[in-house]
Amino acid sequence: MTSLIGYYTTKFGELWDKSLFDLAEEAIDGVLKATNLENKQIDAVFFGNMLAGVLGNNLHSTSKLAEILKINVPIFRTEAACASGGTAFNLAKTYLDSNSNKNVLVIGAEKMTDYSPEEVITALSAAASGEEQEAGLTFSGLYAMMANFYLEKYHYTEKNLAYVSVKNHYHGSLNDKAQFRRKITVEDVLKSAYVSYPLKVLDSSPISDGASAVVLTNNHDMIKKQKYSTAVLASEVITDTISLKSRKQIDEILATKIAADSAFKNAKISRKQINVVELHDCFSIAEILAMEDLGFWKKGQGGAKIKELSTMYGNGGNLIVNTSGGLKAAGHPVGATGVKQIGEIFLQLTKQAEKRQVKNAKYGLAQNVGGSGGTAVVTILAA
Amino acid sequence: MISPVKIWRRQKEIRKILGKKGKVLLWTKIFTPGIDFKKYAPYPVVLVELENKERVYGQLVDYDNEDLKIGSKVFSILRKVRASSEDGVIAYGVKFKPL
Repeated sequence: MTSLIGYYTTKFGELWDKSLFDLAEEAIDGVLKATNLENKQIDAVFFGNMLAGVLGNNLHSTSKLAEILKINVPIFRTEAACASGGTAFNLAKTYLDSNSNKNVLVIGAEKMTDYSPEEVITALSAAASGEEQEAGLTFSGLYAMMANFYLEKYHYTEKNLAYVSVKNHYHGSLNDKAQFRRKITVEDVLKSAYVSYPLKVLDSSPISDGASAVVLTNNHDMIKKQKYSTAVLASEVITDTISLKSRKQIDEILATKIAADSAFKNAKISRKQINVVELHDCFSIAEILAMEDLGFWKKGQGGAKIKELSTMYGNGGNLIVNTSGGLKAAGHPVGATGVKQIGEIFLQLTKQAEKRQVKNAKYGLAQNVGGSGGTAVVTILAA
Repeated sequence: MISPVKIWRRQKEIRKILGKKGKVLLWTKIFTPGIDFKKYAPYPVVLVELENKERVYGQLVDYDNEDLKIGSKVFSILRKVRASSEDGVIAYGVKFKPL
């Protein structure tokens, strides 16, 4: 059995004084300190990063990490758009499944605010199909198409979507690593400018810098020595068509459904046992679709369910979603997000989540999505 | 990066889907595009199902707001799709007009 024994994340936000590798180094130092590990005790590294090649002309980042760590071990970079961090975690777990008594470091990092929004939007669209790019579609545009379809099919309005951001901004106000600490209202969301109709600025995750890291181990002596540890019950990666137009259903992310079914089967637990979820709310509609596709809400009911705010901290619900603030309020440095989500679940299950600590959280799930649903990663942890 | 060769390769396919009728399956209006489309914003983008069931993305032009809905009938036309490349090659592609 693989255990997650430590987590560190930098603050997310516009971190102008820090480069991509400054951020990665801070995350590495932080997680090694948290686990009392020395560099030489790390047997392999998995690095989630999407944009360094496109935006910064930085490839071969694995070798740069070796230079920072001053060790000579296998280091791999994974790229699956915004699911780069989740896939790095999955590969680290898979690596441990075939190598005994090893400690593996997983880092996710992204540097986005050195560039203009148009440059970042263009770079992110590299993860869409050529035809989508040529039509001038962006990722907000693709999710906006899904939102228009969903709102029309199930008779909801933009107001239903707004509750997602209200909840996640409240959670962000409780997380001192979050990019946005400000609470917002439904009216604030509805008054914000359109990004891609019907999605507005306050329906959308921001452009962010940040790095997050976790350490996984299957060394039992190491697990015993640690103050905190959680078991990794399942981690599943599923891919689907890159083009939205090639999917049979528009109001679902099929890759999430398949990954979730498989993760619950492998973890041998039921959906009702999950207490905390970190899911991929890159846009408000994505949280509603994810809650349905993960099997927590019935298809089509998400628009009504979110208005009850039962998944908001402090409302007495059994399932609390995106306590970190989600991508919306915590920020979305794309390569770091998947690692941060798993780290937040670790904090909850080890009672280190401070002001946003969910009582008696025993099981947690993280869902990380790449593109408009071309990749989904679902991970389940147990206290 | 957009090279003239890439544009040429794509444009060989475009003629096959010009002048076709279809209906809007999905739509949005983009207010914050990437670099090459900035000067056209805001612009609507639609996913159209042609009569032969083929699905094609494109921007909607010469439209009224009531055309922006699922089920609208449109037909495909040839238009310049993005700013010219540094090599001066104009990228033509498919856009749609309401029927």
